[in-house]
Amino acid sequence: MDWSLILSNTFRQMVGTDAMYFAIAALGLNVQFGYTGLLNFGQAGFMAAGGYGLGMTAWYFSISLWWGIPIAIVYALILGLLMGIPTLRLRSDYLAIVTIAAAEIIRLVVRSVRFKEQFGGTDGIGEFAGPFREVGSNLGIEQGNKYGFWVFEYTGRQFWTLIVGWILVAIFGFVVYLLMRSPWGRVLKAIREDEDAVRSLGKNVYSYKMQSLLFGGVVGAFAGMMLALDRGNVQPDNYSRDLTFYILTALVLGGLAKVSGSIVGPMLYWGVYVFIEGVLRGMTSDGPLQIGGVTIIQSTQVGQVQLMMVGAGLIALMTFRPQGLFGNREEMAFDDR
Amino acid sequence: MNVLKSRAVRVVFVLVTLLGVGLGGTSAHAQDSEYFIQAQVKEQQRDENGRPDNQPVVGVTITVTAPDGSEVGSAATDDKGVALIPVPAKGDYVVRLDESTLPEGQTIAATSNAEQVINESTFRTNRQIINFFTGESQRVEQSFFSRAAQRVADGIRFGLIIAMCSVGLSLIFGTTGLTNFAHGEMVTFGAMMAYLLNVRGLAFVSFLAFLPFIDDVGRFHILLATPLAVAIGGGFGYALDRFGFARLRRKGVGLISQMVITVGLSIILKNLFLFFFGGRRKPYRDYTLQEGLNLGPITITPRDLIVMLLSFVVLMAVALTLQLTRLGKATRAVSDNVDLASATGIDTSRVIRQIWVAGGALAALGGVFFGLDEQVGFDMGTQLLFLMFAGITLGGLGSAYGALVGGFAVGLFVETSTLFGVPTELKTAPALLILILVLLVRPQGILGRAQRVG
Repeated sequence: MDWSLILSNTFRQMVGTDAMYFAIAALGLNVQFGYTGLLNFGQAGFMAAGGYGLGMTAWYFSISLWWGIPIAIVYALILGLLMGIPTLRLRSDYLAIVTIAAAEIIRLVVRSVRFKEQFGGTDGIGEFAGPFREVGSNLGIEQGNKYGFWVFEYTGRQFWTLIVGWILVAIFGFVVYLLMRSPWGRVLKAIREDEDAVRSLGKNVYSYKMQSLLFGGVVGAFAGMMLALDRGNVQPDNYSRDLTFYILTALVLGGLAKVSGSIVGPMLYWGVYVFIEGVLRGMTSDGPLQIGGVTIIQSTQVGQVQLMMVGAGLIALMTFRPQGLFGNREEMAFDDR
Repeated sequence: MNVLKSRAVRVVFVLVTLLGVGLGGTSAHAQDSEYFIQAQVKEQQRDENGRPDNQPVVGVTITVTAPDGSEVGSAATDDKGVALIPVPAKGDYVVRLDESTLPEGQTIAATSNAEQVINESTFRTNRQIINFFTGESQRVEQSFFSRAAQRVADGIRFGLIIAMCSVGLSLIFGTTGLTNFAHGEMVTFGAMMAYLLNVRGLAFVSFLAFLPFIDDVGRFHILLATPLAVAIGGGFGYALDRFGFARLRRKGVGLISQMVITVGLSIILKNLFLFFFGGRRKPYRDYTLQEGLNLGPITITPRDLIVMLLSFVVLMAVALTLQLTRLGKATRAVSDNVDLASATGIDTSRVIRQIWVAGGALAALGGVFFGLDEQVGFDMGTQLLFLMFAGITLGGLGSAYGALVGGFAVGLFVETSTLFGVPTELKTAPALLILILVLLVRPQGILGRAQRVG
């Protein structure tokens, strides 16, 4: 097993594009779940809104890529209203049910043959990221060149996406940090602690919850846009139901209701994920791993083992350390009602 | 599903099969001459059991042209119905079937084109396969009434399965307040256990082969595998509660945290199924080939008919149990008001345990029935989950009868929605509409009790 390769992959992925778009999505999810206590299980749907908002510009609307940003935001807002209006007056699990259903239906619709003209079917939409990459090369980042140092070496294309992405993480992180210290943010946290008390103080809880859902959803759309720009395409199966759950795991790992948690969590998540993958691939590279003649794992099964560990990690965190690595146990009061 | 009569009908349509990997299996850097377009011409027929039985069509000329109209190559199909045309590189091509070379009496369908376009982006391997299906153009135009009758029959079958799967989900919610996002995997679990017993077999029980329903490699007939799978499913529910959620409740872990834990459980189980079972859908060993019975306008296999009858009987038994027995009454009492039930001397944690067992067993049975209908797959329950949610929301979250009524209604609605122009691939989408409308108009559902919320 090549440990230096595994470790360098691990470090590279910790600040790689996956960790980057996870961090953006987790920041949005944190506003909803961590600060307001809203169970949004459909963050993948918001990300799809972002990705397809960009992808459809050249493909379907025949307009410049940059219009995709407002289009994606509008998509996310519409989606948030659709999910929020029926559910935010009700118990918190209704939101979870509707968001998970809506995200799944979005995936079915965008991959359908019926709407292939709009969304490109199962192949998705490609070749729209050109204008974005041009900006990078205009700033002197050659797509073919290598950038970075030590193990952190990326192609010019990745490097440009990473710069933009992590700047977005910093901006959204800072905005969330400030917002949660504002009176608005304090109302959100109060709703998480005790909704009825907030209502009795004359605040419109429904409206605040809606604002939180929409804000987190728009941030999620930006995560979807960065994912699309990184891959250079949007594909329906990139926005599967379980994507939300992986982001949730990364967020809980870092710590709910903490800005640092939603940034460091995804980095650690991807570090651990890639490390496990490297070790398992190393063990199975010369044929299936066998103990006493019994096949334990084959190379084709590595992905499933990784994801089982993600699930187990989520369960362990919620059971034994719900505040994650950086969270504050006292901020985990959404359950005390 | 089968709208087409088994005899005489030769469905005609064109499919483009895009094979992602596996064929040829050479690297992407293959030489120019290694790119092929493989056109396959098949006459689509159905055998006496109504299953597709395609026949190759020989001697049909296939021409490949570049987008600018210049001919790249052409070939006639061989005795396997295959024409192999080399192309210089991956790229956009037009593949045309010369209809004048088709055998007497055959045509390309009205629903298809004799001309198909290949995009460079779809050229994933160095051999692009393209299928032309031909046949006698005798598509039977069915009246709206007979299509409707068929869809309603399918809807009833699907609705019964959803109702059966949802009972546990709704009752667990009613008694503990927990929305179990791993309930779909409990459905898959039942189907998987039956598959294990029925197809893989347990070698160590092969000595029992003298018993009926067990063969000499330890495989169980589905009639025996089903009750066993249901029992294992009940045991699985028991274990989940005993070693999982009961402990969490005692520990004082809140409901939202428990809900997130069910999400983790769902991820683990789904990948465990994928690990052991693989990604493909596979059928059970028994009752796979059956000729449909024609009952008036409806075609239905005896298997599906029996599944429907059994589902109905089981659901009636569930309803009667809830209505008449001590356990049923206790269950309804607990799901109505835990504190009050507890104060009247009901052992609530025991009732909750029993509900997990019953819910697991019913989910497993629903899974086996669903697997008999549409084969077994690692994500079959996951796909049902949101239909179950729609069903129990419609019926009233936490209400036992609500789950029966709501699940049934959603199944029926989903299947019949294709009559009104909803594409089959999107037939589950209207369930989201139900969900949203119910929450807007009557959030407590049909049978639920209105509660002051928010």
